[in-house]
Amino acid sequence: MPMRDISKPASPANVLTMLILRVLQGGELHGYAIAQRIHVLSSELLAVEEGLLYPTLQKMLVKGWVKAEWGVSDTNRKVRIYQLTAAGRKQLAAELHEYEQMTSAIQDILRTA
Amino acid sequence: MGELIRRIRYLLSWRERHAELADEMEFHREMAAQAGKKHFGNDLRLREEANDAWGWVWLERLQQDLRFALRIAFRSPGFTAAVVLILAVGIGVNLGAFSFFNSVALKLMPVRDAERIVRLERRSPNNYTSEMSYPSFLFYREHAKSLSATIAVLGVPPMQIDDDLQPTSVSFVTGNYFSELGTPARYGRMLDPADDVAESPAAAVLSYGVWQRLFGGDPAVVGRVIHLNGVPATVVGVTPFEFASLGGQHPDVWLSISQQPHLIARSTVLNEWGSLSVRMWGKLAPGVRPEAAARELRSLTDELRKQRPYAVWDDERIEVSPGGHLQVMQPEQYRVAGLVGVLTLLILVVTCTNTGGLMLARAVAREREIGIRVSLGAGSARIFRQLCTESLLLAAAGSLAGLALAYVAMRVVLAKADAPGWISAAPDWRVAIFSVGVTILAALFFGLAPALQVTRRRGRSVSVRQVLVGIQIAASCVLLIVASLLTRAAEHAIYKYPGFEYQQLFSIDPQLGHHGYKPEAARTYFDRMTNQLVAVPGVSGVALVKLPPLGHAVTREDTEVHGRTVKIYPNWVSPEFFGAMGIPIRLGRTFYPGEQNAVIVSESFARQQWPAENPLGQKVGDDGSTKDVVVGVVGDAHINALSDDDAMEEYWPEGKDDWPSMTIVVRTATGDGQTLVSATKAINARLDPIVFPEIRKIGTLYHENARDIEVVASVVSAVGMVAVALSCMGIVGLVAYTVSLRMKEIAIRMVLGAGSRSVLATVLNQFRWPMFVGIVCGISIAAAGSAALRVALYGVGNLDPASYVGGCALLVAIFSLSMFLPATRALRLNISSILRRD
Repeated sequence: MPMRDISKPASPANVLTMLILRVLQGGELHGYAIAQRIHVLSSELLAVEEGLLYPTLQKMLVKGWVKAEWGVSDTNRKVRIYQLTAAGRKQLAAELHEYEQMTSAIQDILRTA
Repeated sequence: MGELIRRIRYLLSWRERHAELADEMEFHREMAAQAGKKHFGNDLRLREEANDAWGWVWLERLQQDLRFALRIAFRSPGFTAAVVLILAVGIGVNLGAFSFFNSVALKLMPVRDAERIVRLERRSPNNYTSEMSYPSFLFYREHAKSLSATIAVLGVPPMQIDDDLQPTSVSFVTGNYFSELGTPARYGRMLDPADDVAESPAAAVLSYGVWQRLFGGDPAVVGRVIHLNGVPATVVGVTPFEFASLGGQHPDVWLSISQQPHLIARSTVLNEWGSLSVRMWGKLAPGVRPEAAARELRSLTDELRKQRPYAVWDDERIEVSPGGHLQVMQPEQYRVAGLVGVLTLLILVVTCTNTGGLMLARAVAREREIGIRVSLGAGSARIFRQLCTESLLLAAAGSLAGLALAYVAMRVVLAKADAPGWISAAPDWRVAIFSVGVTILAALFFGLAPALQVTRRRGRSVSVRQVLVGIQIAASCVLLIVASLLTRAAEHAIYKYPGFEYQQLFSIDPQLGHHGYKPEAARTYFDRMTNQLVAVPGVSGVALVKLPPLGHAVTREDTEVHGRTVKIYPNWVSPEFFGAMGIPIRLGRTFYPGEQNAVIVSESFARQQWPAENPLGQKVGDDGSTKDVVVGVVGDAHINALSDDDAMEEYWPEGKDDWPSMTIVVRTATGDGQTLVSATKAINARLDPIVFPEIRKIGTLYHENARDIEVVASVVSAVGMVAVALSCMGIVGLVAYTVSLRMKEIAIRMVLGAGSRSVLATVLNQFRWPMFVGIVCGISIAAAGSAALRVALYGVGNLDPASYVGGCALLVAIFSLSMFLPATRALRLNISSILRRD
């Protein structure tokens, strides 16, 4: 099994990327809705501030994992809606895999050491 | 790849994207406020962070830096103008020199397959020649498979076209010359292989220049019959103005090589294996490398030696050199080019240190502004980048101005030097890349030191200033020394007496060998010619010599003395030679008529070979059996190699086989020699009308030679003085700035009773070391580098003390003066106003 540097897959920015990708897998959402979704699904444990959310979303746009289009919100407000791309789906699968490997490795240590 | 495209699309529409993001985050905040959450954080900073993800931050910062740099530059227009001007001169000199080198040696001529054209010359460890015999050329042409084409060029002395008094240069070429070069005809057609057959009618192609001069640019010249030395030829075409010829040769008339015996009657040069007459060029077959061609030619040379052993030297090979440029460069020429490059680089160093000093002074004056920026949060990296951008901007402006200067200078040089029409002064891609490189180098030189000092804020450290002054002094020292060396060499070359009286001297070359004369017939011709020439009014001396002074060929040979090999300049002369040439006889006598196994040597030869013995009676020669006896010693004459101080000359009487190659030298008493010229032509017409002797005035040739050297020396001196003037301005500025820095301190000292001498010492002492170190470095660099100048330094050693001492003395004088003037300003300060200030 290839070795991994412990810091990278577990950093908050990376985790957030993975969470956003997972959330968008369920359907297209605008920025605030993504933050809400994460908040709700984590039983209000995780809160994503806009200071972290938007830079991450922009980075994902650069990498081409999501694409953004203009649409209309429920309140008839013009809003930007994000969708997962094919590359994004691949990236999600890769990151999930990596994250699972990392967590099981950490749990092994915690259990036995 | 897709990422790059996305980033670029972002860049193209960045304003909309920024607005979109602002909108989006505004919406987010609205929703969050509805849900009752307060938000923390600075809007603008968060937005900037988000936008930074696209990776165009550096571009934004660069724009900001450039805008700021432009504002600063325009705020002090005088300073900017001065800096740009100084840089323009320094960079312009470099660009001009490179542009010239580019045109001569790097740019390929606009001919077909120029990169495959090669020049082929015979070489061996003991010999080299740039020409080979025509039958040898035909041999190589037939057997060389690595060459897709072979071209021969045969040069002959000038001929007379119709009744024109000005001699016309003529060149005979193989039929494929113009087709291989792909020359389009201006009018008519160029020569083709069908003309290169002896039985074809003589077809001539005119150059653009002679077409304009003699035929007034008349298109109807095609089909006209012209007479060259009385032999008719039909004009078939005219070359275009931008014609590029091999080796930069520009004869007036082109003819096919097979026509040569027709034009130069009874010439057998095309069949002689022993006469070196044609220059050989070739085109490498596609995909063949020069080394492979050289190998094949070497094996062909060995093959030729088996068939014709006397036509080939021992260990001979054919040297293949690139021929597609204006000038086929020899190694010594590369050395000279390198030297010029170093000199121009030194000028760049001087201008850059000069500018550096100015920038330093101004940078410190901006300390307050930079202090404010630092306190507002700018990192030192950012400020450093800002200062570097300012330097680059100034360097770029100076570079553009320098490019314009260089272009103008090139145009002037090309016009004066009568360069071929295809060379243009406009910069090409090589010059563009070179100017970018020079700009960056210059910006580094003059921008880095002040920027480093300011951002480190190490206080007013004196060391940077001192280093700048030291470098300026060293560079100026080298330039001045080199300039004075060259000037002295030029004086030496121009005014030095070469060893023979070149005024009122003429050489007459009937080229009898080319007209098929056998030695006996030639001897008869010369006997009759000299007898009749002596009777011409005004003639005071007539003699025969094989290699005339300032002639077309320079030859050196090896001979043996006491078993040692010595390199000499040989010549074969009649007994009256030394008298006619004005060469003094130091010991012994001249030859008796018909004398054999006798030899006369030059003073230097005698001094070197027999330092303690009597040279008369010594034996010289490399044959086992007969050696020649020295019967006389004459003064050094430097007949054919004016620049070589080493005048190892040896003279033999004319051998019986030398007669067809002999020439006549004539001394006239006064006058322009017109009587001599017409008398010679008249006598020759009576003796043999098909012979056209080439008559040259030695005095004119000598002065032309000297003039070239003079031009080069004056250009170098002028450039050296410009560089020194720039240095002076820089020193004056630096010293004045030093004074202004320490004005308060000086004022206090003077109030406390310091005398003017100690005040001056305060200011000037810091420049003592830079001056000393600078001069020492300058002298060492000049001494090391001038060894490469030997080729141009006629009669002046490269360590000539007069030049070094003179150069340094001048430098010290100039710099002392420039330092002294602003320093004395310190003494006239209004002390009370200074103390009250601030």
